[in-house]
Amino acid sequence: MPKTVLVIDDDRDIREVAKTSLELVGGFMVILADSGKSGVDLAQQARPDAIILDLMMPDLDGQQTLVQLKQLPETASIPVIMLTAKVQASKKELVSKGAAGVLVKPFDPMQLSDQVCEILGWTLTGKDVGHDGSPKE
Amino acid sequence: MLMGGRIRLWIIAASVAGLIALAVVSWLSYRNTKELIAANGRLAQAHKLIEDLTALHLLLDDAESSCRGYALSGKDDYLKPYDVALTQLDITTQVLGHDLADDPNRSRQFQELEPIIQARLELMKGLVDARRKRGFEAAVRVVQSDRGKRLADEIRRRISAMQAEERNDLLDRERESRERARSTILVVGVTCLLGIALLLAASVVIYRLNRQSEKDHLALQNAERIQRTILNSAAYSMISTDPAGLIQLANAAAEKWLGYTGAELAGNTVTIVHDARELQSRGDQLTRAMGMPVPGDYQALVTKARYGVADEFECAYIRKDGTRFPVLLAVTALRGGDNDLAGYLMIAADLSDRHAMRKMKDEFVSVVSHELRTPLTSIKGALGLLARGVTGALPPKADEMAQIALTNADRLSRLVDDILDLQRIESGRIAIDMRTCDIADLMRQSVESVHLVAEGEGITIAISPCQGSIRADQERMVQAFVNLLGNAVKFSRRGGRIEFAAERTGSIVVFRVRDEGRGIPKDKLETIFERFEQVDASDAREKGGTGLGLAICRSIVEQHGGRVWAESELGRGSTFCVQLPLAEADAVTAS
Repeated sequence: MPKTVLVIDDDRDIREVAKTSLELVGGFMVILADSGKSGVDLAQQARPDAIILDLMMPDLDGQQTLVQLKQLPETASIPVIMLTAKVQASKKELVSKGAAGVLVKPFDPMQLSDQVCEILGWTLTGKDVGHDGSPKE
Repeated sequence: MLMGGRIRLWIIAASVAGLIALAVVSWLSYRNTKELIAANGRLAQAHKLIEDLTALHLLLDDAESSCRGYALSGKDDYLKPYDVALTQLDITTQVLGHDLADDPNRSRQFQELEPIIQARLELMKGLVDARRKRGFEAAVRVVQSDRGKRLADEIRRRISAMQAEERNDLLDRERESRERARSTILVVGVTCLLGIALLLAASVVIYRLNRQSEKDHLALQNAERIQRTILNSAAYSMISTDPAGLIQLANAAAEKWLGYTGAELAGNTVTIVHDARELQSRGDQLTRAMGMPVPGDYQALVTKARYGVADEFECAYIRKDGTRFPVLLAVTALRGGDNDLAGYLMIAADLSDRHAMRKMKDEFVSVVSHELRTPLTSIKGALGLLARGVTGALPPKADEMAQIALTNADRLSRLVDDILDLQRIESGRIAIDMRTCDIADLMRQSVESVHLVAEGEGITIAISPCQGSIRADQERMVQAFVNLLGNAVKFSRRGGRIEFAAERTGSIVVFRVRDEGRGIPKDKLETIFERFEQVDASDAREKGGTGLGLAICRSIVEQHGGRVWAESELGRGSTFCVQLPLAEADAVTAS
């Protein structure tokens, strides 16, 4: 089973690019949410293997979404990678709130999957990635 | 001498001169009056003398005619005037004798006269006796003897002479008197004129001095007024204190900003407008920096100034109502005539606006950063996928276009990064995480970042570190070095060689990045550190620089208290030098 990644970002284009990149380069299954609130709901339902979460969003912003995700029992164990524009990044602070890592925008679409795997300790061997690194059927 | 003193002196001088003149005039008047009185007395005397002599003469004549009358008639009645005359003559002679006693000349003359008068009286007596005793004929014979006539003539002559002399004397004395009076009047007149002249002169001088004094006073008042106006119109708060930190004066700006009146501030220690914690922390800071204990009271504000070190720092001012605002405070020591400490002057510039601006700028940077990066993300993302064939192979021309688009999207992205970086670094708001960094480590880390690219061009980088460490924000310092190394790689030929060395002298260390590239013309050695300046305009496109790298590098280095400069010769390569202070411990052990 390919890993599922939930991408929460209020910008449609970034969602599309991220989806295309993660699917075509990393072989992930990608689901999308366009706001913090809908992201939390979707995460509860779909239980993705990882969440990529944009920091700057209107209404419920990235930090608040992160806090919520970590509080809810269904989603607390899902690793979250924060997506930030360089300036606002306070890596330490985000990690202390429960983020598994931080990605900086603009990201290299070729490297997005690599970076995701690096942060989460996964191995990328093309499509159908297994948690322990061994390719699955 | 002060104006008041001079005026006093002149008034005293004028008064003395006036008094002296008055005294002289008084004395002269007194003397003159005395003389006039004396002269008058003598005049009276002379007149009396002349009258007495005349009276004497008349008496003698009276006696004579009385005798002759008796001689003629033989009647006793005719002798009555004679008897009276005799008595009178006695008295008159005595009086004259007495009056003339003081004048030896007259006295002598009178003494010579007396016997003649006596003789004439005897003759009269003889005549009377002759008639009485011997009858008419005998009396006629006496009269006819002429002796009486001769005596009478002599007496007349002498008396006339005496009277004439007396009159002449009188005239002389009168003339003398008149002359003396005249000369006295002259002297008095001159003295009076002199006195008046002196007084006038003194008055003029005093008037002038007074006017000058008034002018000076006015000038002083003006100067004071201007000073006060300047102090009070200044857009800075100015507070002066005594050497113990007690407030003496506060200008209008201070009163307005702090909400106290000058009177309320005066006499209080200046720390009432400061934050106690800030003072304590500054005290601690100074204690460390100056190597002597500085308490967290007013001393924390003034110690540096007292040592003659220019002191300017940011702190908070606390208003009367407890609210606070940021200020830039400059403290100077005020010294008196003989360099004694007279107090301190604290000038504060309100930074509220500046801080607000800074906050706005930071927020702006934050917002812009996000706003620019969002579309860039999509652009780079989409183009990246396109250009790398992830979405499928592209026809050659499309592929070329996609590549161009991607390259420039990358450039744009780097540009945004650099601009925002520079903005944050220059505004000093970037969080500088100062640590002690080992020099060799820093250098190795920096080289690692460019090592791949260098390898790709066959360029070797030789590192020659030195012992020691610097206080630096590791990430930033590496960024600065990477900048220089990246440039060196960019401008080196294939297979070229770059040297990255560090050398320490005293308490500083100098890093040098040397390349064998094409060099930099002398007139550009400074300007290349400016924003968007590149040696050659085509460099931007070819070498892919943003034109901000060196500006960012300089900003970082200067934030660390160092400096960066370039040395180069056209065609012979360039050396970029970075000078930084060694970490304290190292500096101390430096030989």
